[in-house]
Amino acid sequence: MKKLMLSAIAFSMFALLAFSSIATKLISSKTSVKFFSTTPAEDIEANNYKTVSTIDTSTGDVVFSLPMQSFEFEKALMQKHFNSTDFLDTKKYPKAKFVGKITNLNNINFEKDGTYKVTVDGELTIKDIAKQQIIDGTIVVNGKIIEVTSKFKITLADHGIAFKNGKPSTNIAKTVEVTLVAEYPEQ
Amino acid sequence: MIMTKKKIVKLSLFVVGIGIIVAVSIALYLFNMPHRDVQATAADFTYTASEIVQEYLADSEKANEKYLDEEGESKILQVSGMVSSISEDFNHQKVVLLKNDNDPAGVSCTFTQETNDGVTNVSIGSQITVKGVIRSGATYDDDLGMYEHVIMEKCKIISYKESNH
Repeated sequence: MKKLMLSAIAFSMFALLAFSSIATKLISSKTSVKFFSTTPAEDIEANNYKTVSTIDTSTGDVVFSLPMQSFEFEKALMQKHFNSTDFLDTKKYPKAKFVGKITNLNNINFEKDGTYKVTVDGELTIKDIAKQQIIDGTIVVNGKIIEVTSKFKITLADHGIAFKNGKPSTNIAKTVEVTLVAEYPEQ
Repeated sequence: MIMTKKKIVKLSLFVVGIGIIVAVSIALYLFNMPHRDVQATAADFTYTASEIVQEYLADSEKANEKYLDEEGESKILQVSGMVSSISEDFNHQKVVLLKNDNDPAGVSCTFTQETNDGVTNVSIGSQITVKGVIRSGATYDDDLGMYEHVIMEKCKIISYKESNH
């Protein structure tokens, strides 16, 4: 009987642990990723609303997975250039990914309403080329919803996005600005 | 007939002028080329949500080769399945997840501001058929620690069947 009790306690402890480890993971599929390139010739903007992200509030692990063909441009021709083998080669590399860790996790209370500055140190992989990125952002905890926003720059050459020649090479900036918003409902 | 120098100059100016007009019109046409109208284009494949998910989980590279296009004008699919969730994205587009209870992933269908209305009377658990363009496939992602759905955009409801519950 005692043995049974013990195993029952052990089991419930395990169940509790398993449950709590699931509960610390925030998942967002309501996201907005915008990139903006500006040159004297042209401003170019593209939007992606199909990115998926997770934040593990206990370990600080942050992941973003971006379906590259979901970037929408105003001009169809720009969208074709973007997807083509000369640029992002989205048929071969359909997803870009960011995997990082929150470096100031102690300063963030995901359970308490408020606005928190966050720094994430990680690797951004575009076209299979990983590059370290330290990204600053803001986390707003508001009741049942946690919202993350950030703005940072990407140097295209870091990911092997080179412009040999032709019009697009002069019309696209060497670094582009990325604006990110992600909304995580509390699990 | 012998052309005078003046005539030759006139003729070549004319030819060059026509050339410039043609070049400028082509450039303008390309620059302003409209996006492909997904709903006006015939579907390339017709599947159930389970079928396309399973095909991707079996071999995603092969599936990408089959469905994705180098310039982003990927295949247009007509997919039927059970409505598992309905939400809205930051672009105010409805998002309907078609997913069989037994499958680890489903097909996430994003509508447009023009086609959103079709989703209004769709309820969870009902069977619908949706047409749209595929953007990426289903896969298990180690870093996310979860399955990612097949993503379709520019969707529109083709047919709708009320749930039996």
